[in-house]
Amino acid sequence: MQTAAQAQRLLDRVLMLAKSAKGAVATASLRGTDGGNTRFAVNEITSSGDVERLSLSVTVQFGLRSATASTNQLDDRSIDDVVARATRMARLAPENVEELPPLARQRYAAVKAARDSKTAELTPAERAKAAAAVIQAGDATKVQIAGFYEHAAETFALASTEGLWAHHAWTSCALSCTARTPDGTGSGWAGASSNRAGDLDAAAMAKAAVDKAVASARPRKLAPGRYTVVLEPAAVASMTLVLAAQLGARRAEEGRSFFAKPGGGTRIGDKLFPETITLRSDPTDTALTTPPFDGDGVPLAPTRWIDKGSLRALSYGRYWAKKQGKPVTGTPAGWILEGGTATRDELIKGVKRGVLVTHLFYIRMLDPQGILLTGLTRDGTFLIENGAIVAPVMNFRFNESPVHMLARCDGLTATTVVEGMRAPALRTHDFNLASLSEAV
Amino acid sequence: MKLSRRSFLVGGSAGVLAALASPRLISARGLLTDPALDDVIKRALSAATKAGASYADVRIVRRRNEGLQTREDRIESISSTEEYGIGVRVIAGGAWGFAATPAVTVGEGERIARRAVAIAKANASQLKRPVVLAPVPPNVDVWQTALIKDPFKIPLEDKAELLLAINREAMKVKGVKFVSARYAGNAEWKLFASTDGAYLEQEIVRLAPGYSVTAVDDKRGEFETRAHTLAPMQAGWEYVEQSSLLADARMIAEQAVEKLKAPSVTPGKRDLILDPSNLWLTIHESIGHPTELDRAMGYEANYAGTSFATTDKLGKLRIGTPILTFYADKTTPGGLATCGYDDDGVATQRWNLVDKGVFVGYQTTREQAAWIGEKASRGTSYADSYASFPFQRMPNISLAPAAKERSIDDLIAATEDGIVIVGNGSWSIDQQRFNFQFGGQAFWEVKHGKKTRMLRDVAYQANTLEFWSACDQIGGPSSWQLGGAMTDGKGEPAQSNAVSHGCPPARFKKINILSTNQRAAQASDRKGGQ
Repeated sequence: MQTAAQAQRLLDRVLMLAKSAKGAVATASLRGTDGGNTRFAVNEITSSGDVERLSLSVTVQFGLRSATASTNQLDDRSIDDVVARATRMARLAPENVEELPPLARQRYAAVKAARDSKTAELTPAERAKAAAAVIQAGDATKVQIAGFYEHAAETFALASTEGLWAHHAWTSCALSCTARTPDGTGSGWAGASSNRAGDLDAAAMAKAAVDKAVASARPRKLAPGRYTVVLEPAAVASMTLVLAAQLGARRAEEGRSFFAKPGGGTRIGDKLFPETITLRSDPTDTALTTPPFDGDGVPLAPTRWIDKGSLRALSYGRYWAKKQGKPVTGTPAGWILEGGTATRDELIKGVKRGVLVTHLFYIRMLDPQGILLTGLTRDGTFLIENGAIVAPVMNFRFNESPVHMLARCDGLTATTVVEGMRAPALRTHDFNLASLSEAV
Repeated sequence: MKLSRRSFLVGGSAGVLAALASPRLISARGLLTDPALDDVIKRALSAATKAGASYADVRIVRRRNEGLQTREDRIESISSTEEYGIGVRVIAGGAWGFAATPAVTVGEGERIARRAVAIAKANASQLKRPVVLAPVPPNVDVWQTALIKDPFKIPLEDKAELLLAINREAMKVKGVKFVSARYAGNAEWKLFASTDGAYLEQEIVRLAPGYSVTAVDDKRGEFETRAHTLAPMQAGWEYVEQSSLLADARMIAEQAVEKLKAPSVTPGKRDLILDPSNLWLTIHESIGHPTELDRAMGYEANYAGTSFATTDKLGKLRIGTPILTFYADKTTPGGLATCGYDDDGVATQRWNLVDKGVFVGYQTTREQAAWIGEKASRGTSYADSYASFPFQRMPNISLAPAAKERSIDDLIAATEDGIVIVGNGSWSIDQQRFNFQFGGQAFWEVKHGKKTRMLRDVAYQANTLEFWSACDQIGGPSSWQLGGAMTDGKGEPAQSNAVSHGCPPARFKKINILSTNQRAAQASDRKGGQ
């Protein structure tokens, strides 16, 4: 793993080499990951590894011509070769009118304690111990357990011939598990991620998954249709992340996004959601494990994209911002859907007849115009009647948009970090559970 | 090019095995290893054995990728990536261990070999059944993609010009606002050696050209896209040159415009005629994934899911009509998953998964063969990088054509009321592979044996067994085509696998057709939030 000083020396050398070609300017980056993982299934560890990866990437530009080459070898010959490759390709590349020169020095938000040394130094034996805690919960209840535990120490450094220097070091970890009853009719899931392994409670997660598996066994058939649903944080996160990815200004201004206005322009300023809905990004939230700059080195500021129900901002890359005369936002990261004050059980209490959803699977876009998604419920789907969970039900395929999910939301819990974002559980209505799935 | 003679000692569980000496079988483009690598491999295997491994294998892998991305009249990006490194996988105390590093040296090879053994030993405490590998002959061989023109040697300008020419053609069509043509090529070179005596060198070259065209109706605030459906292939640049990519650009663009004006489909049960460009993905999801033995046994339960095709159903479960035989084949010419040997060192082969409609076979690795009482692996182990743990990945899986010639036009002519679907749109299937829902790129209504008009917003939703049981006609040998995916995901950490599926067109009776039309709902959303 390269230190900041080592990365800077290496990138300086790469940039010097690139600059030696007449008329060339360049940006170089170095990414490093030292990580480990332990995988378990059928109540035993099935595979495990410690892996070191790195990537040195160089973008060379001659005016409007540009190309990028990368390698994971840092010996002199490989460095010469990667610069030569980028230089050769850039000379051959057709001109791109959207090409911009490399960034100069930037100011980045301070991110404190992103790197947790305990997480970086986690050993295979410690991972095996966490896996054992989950496996034992399965053994004790005769439930089949599968799961995955991974951690990594990561670094990302960026520099340019124009003076850019960005460096970030952080750790990341995630643990998830799926419990299945021996008769194959019940399944439960639990999972979480953070930058600190100490935040992940293997035993609590195992208990949640096992309890859900047992409670969801022998589900009844509920007719497909539009239901009030309580979506747990993992389900909310996976829907919301698709919506977040659609918040680009360019596609909206080109008329090919949900956030485009018919006849031209965008929907900025439109009140699309209830007051309680705020979607923001914050790279200084260390549990979300993201650098405070994007892949181009653009500073990422904490931003409210949807604020109290109104669309406040769309993201601008460097070229499109310049063309439209807008500030550059970069590609946002570190997503947070703000939560509320209800508990999950309070959300359930307010449901006359509806469905509790744990987790979603295989989400795909059906129609980008309305951000219509399809996917399936999974690992714990329950019927709610008169404010209480009354029975497990078979899984559903849903055909629904995160836009509708948020527009019809009338209750939110506090947030947790799951699927790489901070998300609450929420209650929403008329959610289209379109067809039944036999899958458990 | 220099021929290298190999002679090295490998340590096995029974001590030092016999020396393997193999002259290079063929000498060819790119297939010459640095003789120093023999030493790295020998010492890493020896270090693993000394540290207590009962089995070890080493993979030294170099991956090269080249990518060009364009839109309209310009190149958006040109990139070339290279990744090189060494991964050592061991069994110690009956458990797997794995470690990998980009530094391919004797010292690093030995270090990660010992690391892998330490990891295996840490895992052995949570083991209920020790790993047992099916026997395999000590294969020593060289294998490479059959190609004429190495795509990495084709000048960048030629590739850029082809993509920009496609864009120019498409942009000539009125109503087209955006077009995005792209090219991706990758080469995967690997050297594999094991304490069971394997020494294998392979290079696989794959390429994936393509484009999509977007038509926009600004007034109505609507847009539609239509993507070309040329399959990615294991091939040389000649595949691109001989394709109709450029010749089709105008037609594809016209279809994008026509699609935007087309009426929305009326939901209901209709006969469905699926072109091979759509059907390959349905085979991938509903036949390919369920017949992965690790899935069926619960090894993927926390991520990709399990399978309806459990081991008690082997040889018994009827998946579809008797006209359907699906076979796995890692030797299919051009297939993305085709190679000489898998990442367990097992020679690749062809076998049936579904025979005349009945489920008869699984995809297995050396570890898995014994799980279903088989004596040998089917050779489907794969790791997507030096830094990835090899495990069971899908081989090319195809639907055999009917013996008699029959084209998609014949299927259309025989259909009273149906829909033809070409290309892949969205796709989604549940974690046990029952309920699926697929879209497409282009849809036509069929009335009284004729294609009448284009439709939009079409998706078909079905249960795997009901769907294949509704298949009543398939095309003949000339109608069979390969389709494929460059990035099929499985495993934790997630790995990517390139895989092809061949099939003829097929007809399915009375399938549930959905409309994905959200425009009315969206208009109401536009009136404001609650």
